[in-house]
Amino acid sequence: MFVKIKGLNFRYKNAQEETINDFHLRINKGEIVSILGQSGSGKSTVLRLLAGLEIPSSGVIIIDNLVIVDDNNFVLPEKRGVGMVFQDYALFPHMTVEENIMFGLKKIDRKAKKIRVEEVLALVNLKEFSKRYPYELSGGQQQRVALARALAPQPFLLLLDEPFSNLDKDLQLKIREELKGILKATGITAIFVTHDQEDAKALADRIVILEDGKILREGKPQEILE
Amino acid sequence: MIKINKVKQNLNAWSVLSFIFIMLIILPNLNILGGIFSPANENWQHIKTFLLQDYIFKTLKLVVFTGLFTIILGTSLSWLISAFDFPLRNFFKWSLVFSLAIPPYIAAYTYNGLLNYTGIIQTFLRGTLHLQINQKYFDIMSEKGAIFIFTMFLFPYVYTITQAFLEKQSAALIENARILGRSPLEIFFYIIIPISRAAIVGGTSLVILEVLNDYGVVKYFGITTFSTAIFQTWFAFGDINSAIRLSAVLLLIVFVILFLEKILRGRKRFSFTTTKSRPITRQKLVGIKGMVAFSYCLTIFSLGFLIPTLQLLYWSLLTYQKILNGKFLSLLVNTVFVSLLAAGLIVIIAVVIANYCRISSGLAAKIYSKVTTLGYSIPGAVIAIAVIVFFINLDHRLYWFYKFLNPETGKLILSSSLVMLIFAYVIRFLAIGFNSIESGFEKNGVSFFEASRTLGMNITETFWKVDLPMIRPAVISGFLLVFVDILKELPLTLILRPFNFDTLATKAFEYANDEMIHEASIASLFIIAVSIIAIYFFYKTGDKEAE
Repeated sequence: MFVKIKGLNFRYKNAQEETINDFHLRINKGEIVSILGQSGSGKSTVLRLLAGLEIPSSGVIIIDNLVIVDDNNFVLPEKRGVGMVFQDYALFPHMTVEENIMFGLKKIDRKAKKIRVEEVLALVNLKEFSKRYPYELSGGQQQRVALARALAPQPFLLLLDEPFSNLDKDLQLKIREELKGILKATGITAIFVTHDQEDAKALADRIVILEDGKILREGKPQEILE
Repeated sequence: MIKINKVKQNLNAWSVLSFIFIMLIILPNLNILGGIFSPANENWQHIKTFLLQDYIFKTLKLVVFTGLFTIILGTSLSWLISAFDFPLRNFFKWSLVFSLAIPPYIAAYTYNGLLNYTGIIQTFLRGTLHLQINQKYFDIMSEKGAIFIFTMFLFPYVYTITQAFLEKQSAALIENARILGRSPLEIFFYIIIPISRAAIVGGTSLVILEVLNDYGVVKYFGITTFSTAIFQTWFAFGDINSAIRLSAVLLLIVFVILFLEKILRGRKRFSFTTTKSRPITRQKLVGIKGMVAFSYCLTIFSLGFLIPTLQLLYWSLLTYQKILNGKFLSLLVNTVFVSLLAAGLIVIIAVVIANYCRISSGLAAKIYSKVTTLGYSIPGAVIAIAVIVFFINLDHRLYWFYKFLNPETGKLILSSSLVMLIFAYVIRFLAIGFNSIESGFEKNGVSFFEASRTLGMNITETFWKVDLPMIRPAVISGFLLVFVDILKELPLTLILRPFNFDTLATKAFEYANDEMIHEASIASLFIIAVSIIAIYFFYKTGDKEAE
């Protein structure tokens, strides 16, 4: 198993009940898993726990045989090798597309950085946009830059938070296909969170349905969604 | 990998630095509150029996009447400007704020010079109209005069906050009330006043804190309030113990006021959260009504800005040859230097604390941000006493070290240096820098920070590469606000400056106190000009952003 999550519990400050309740999940390398749930089901919180943006009250997360979190230890988000595409993309507005992507490439020389930027931009089909600023891009383009930025440092695990929520319907279908192509081409292990069954069906190898912080059902798309 | 407890407690350079800064702010003030518990001396018995009631009574009188009158002026003007169109309405909208550019102590001696026996008004009445009028009608150096000065030059706090609120939030309500057949006056009392309660209370509490902070006006007018009493007790009677006690009492009054503010504001924020608010459509006032509105605004603008400024300009024409010389230049350099230095320091400290408070969601962060903003509520007199006591103490403790560096050294090193003054500025004005920077952080949200963390940057790297470039406008505007505030600051500078160190504010006040009002005009005009530029800059850019 590539990713192992065991007995994960979490409660936001001032919250009455556990936001995440005894969550567990195992993911194979290269698998794309979708967490499907209504808003408020805790699905985004699972991603934030995996990325290290929240600290669980208890539970264990192991990625590639490394303990990321257990009851005594914690790996900071910047040391986890977990990439994340944010719902609102969070592209740094004062940096160009190229600078945004280079941001996560730390310990390699400038030439190697340039090469890597070209690679990922080619992957998301935005080669000629490297000098633009985020506000000069359309919503769909911004999303692809966010994806390229998250992929550039070659994370062990990629997290996508509601990747289509800011796109209109036509674009959503197109980008969904593209995204699947890109993820499969890189062979990356990915978890994406959505409230849309269609998205989950189209993209995921496996679906986890979350309700009130608890896993309701889990399985292959065709088993779970009729 | 690190221990999870360390992550949970948010132990890092940011939290440690913030803790140190906060402690430096709290310690001197705790000293003051602690003064209540030390045994009282004879002097205090005397003050308590004969004087304290008078201090409290006079201070409260100023506070209550100024508060009342600023509410009347502030809300009526904000309602006129927001809901009606009349001649020169657009001009008055932001020129009414100019009163804020004239610090009350400058207004106090300008009005005195205007109204006294040799002033322009009495000379005119005597010389041209041959009228002899009883002097008592011109005596501004009284409690009533002080209330007039405070009202005319502090009302913009209520006006700006309420006006901004009404313009953005009230359109639907006012229009509905109109359709339902209510008259403008009814609308004012039944709609405007209740919905803008939070804004009015917020503005008024700022006014009250300014009145409590004031030292210049009451000293010049010879009114014994807490501010003047605290300094007199120390400097005239040499009784630091009682000065600390008086400060503690004043501090308690401030806490009561802050508490009242919280209650009066209530939980009612009265802002729409879901619907998009749109600006109000203004009703046109024509004929007599338009003229009345115009005259009202013109009167306030004249009394609160035009007349004193013209008077100062006239005086400056009489005196500029005598004043504008090398000495004035060094005064200017002093003022700008100390303001830049303190403003820079304040912004750095504010950024550190604001960044920590944003990242950490713990209790400490909440307390820090409260403490930071509390400094602005503490009257200058109290901060001055607190800081002096703190530094004299520090000097005693460090004496062995001074001696080690220089065997011939005197005892008071830090407490006779600029360090003490700048330290006091930090306590008093940190809130202003902090608020600006905090709102900059809030505007950007947390997702850029989080994105940077998942891309491999730690908190400090993220700060330099992502946060700081993004909050730069907030940092700059915070810096400017603090800079202007320090430039015109009087009480702290007057008390804590090193020997022979003068700023524009202290020099102007000294001139006025030495019956050389004309000579004070150029320094005063300089302060007013810088403040107007700042006000113009902020209200104009604020307006654009709102649009």
